[in-house]
Amino acid sequence: MARRALWRVGAAKDAVPRLAHLDQDRPLVLAAQRDPARFDALYRRYLARVYSYAYYELGDHHAAEDATEATFVAALTNLSQFQERARPADGDGASTFRVWLFQIARNEIAGERRRARRRPLEPIGEMIIADPLNVEDEAVRRDQAREAWRAVGRLPGERRQAMVLRFVDELSTAEIAGVLGRSEGAVRVLIHRALRSVARDLKGGERGNGERGRTS
Amino acid sequence: MTVHRRDVGEIEALITDRYLDSLLAVQPVDDDRLLGAPGFTVSAAVREISRRLSADLPRFHPSFRFEERLALRLAEVAAAMRLSVAAGGEGQPVAIRRITPVAQDPLVVLDDAELDGRVPPRPILIGGAVAASALSLAGAWLAWRRRTSPMARAVRAAHAMRQSGT
Repeated sequence: MARRALWRVGAAKDAVPRLAHLDQDRPLVLAAQRDPARFDALYRRYLARVYSYAYYELGDHHAAEDATEATFVAALTNLSQFQERARPADGDGASTFRVWLFQIARNEIAGERRRARRRPLEPIGEMIIADPLNVEDEAVRRDQAREAWRAVGRLPGERRQAMVLRFVDELSTAEIAGVLGRSEGAVRVLIHRALRSVARDLKGGERGNGERGRTS
Repeated sequence: MTVHRRDVGEIEALITDRYLDSLLAVQPVDDDRLLGAPGFTVSAAVREISRRLSADLPRFHPSFRFEERLALRLAEVAAAMRLSVAAGGEGQPVAIRRITPVAQDPLVVLDDAELDGRVPPRPILIGGAVAASALSLAGAWLAWRRRTSPMARAVRAAHAMRQSGT
């Protein structure tokens, strides 16, 4: 079933959505289907997004690279099977290529997790509670961001994935629904609950820190 | 009309979603009335955490070494795919009609009446094998011609001399 890939904000009709770059996918996909060498443009466009998704999920640069590589190779070799299912009614910018690509990425990340469980190189607890911001301490010196990510990292699987896809990869709710195989309504509720949970978690953490600060 | 508790949750989720859309479009809507669900608001806590996450969660980029290595691998995969397509690996078999006694001259257009009661010509299917063989031979010849190593030049010179009989 075709899904709306770009939610239009009714209140801000004049706003130019930052997600409007989707309309550039279609010609690139068609070109790559005709000539696989043209896939490079799609690869460059989505490399950071796919890699970020993998890194936030796996918490390890090498594992994220492996998942990213597998994702793009699978996408290229199966590109002839991809069919654009967005309809004109979905808007000029609608594209299902991103959804398709992130579905592949999600599968590859799940596979990478399974492989990591079979041959753990570090304590499993460390891997499950991955904290990418720890690795990037020098680049990201934001305690608040780290706390926020930790709170997101403590969310159960699908809620966490939905949050990363929404806030880091900036996918629309409809696109996330396509990636996770859920309805749009279910994804909206998932994200809403995740936000409330993270807000509660952070509030509790900050209160705890404040109390610890007072007692020390 | 009463709004059920489940519906309330879904409406709250909907206006939160609209708020996030505006936030990610760098035009956050602060007036709840503009979110399209009168009587419902996005809580201050949800607004605050949404702003924090959208502003502070970074997008990571892999190393350029990895990027170029993967680009090279994808180019190799693409080249292999192009070759297999050129060799007919993914193409459709081509149907070639056999010339039958019905139409000795291929340019003669026959009426349907003339074809009635006659066995239609059987198509001959040719897969990728013939095309692949031709392509391989052409590729080998081209590779031999294009080689520029001193050894290849010497072999070509010897070959030319042998052919000219000197």
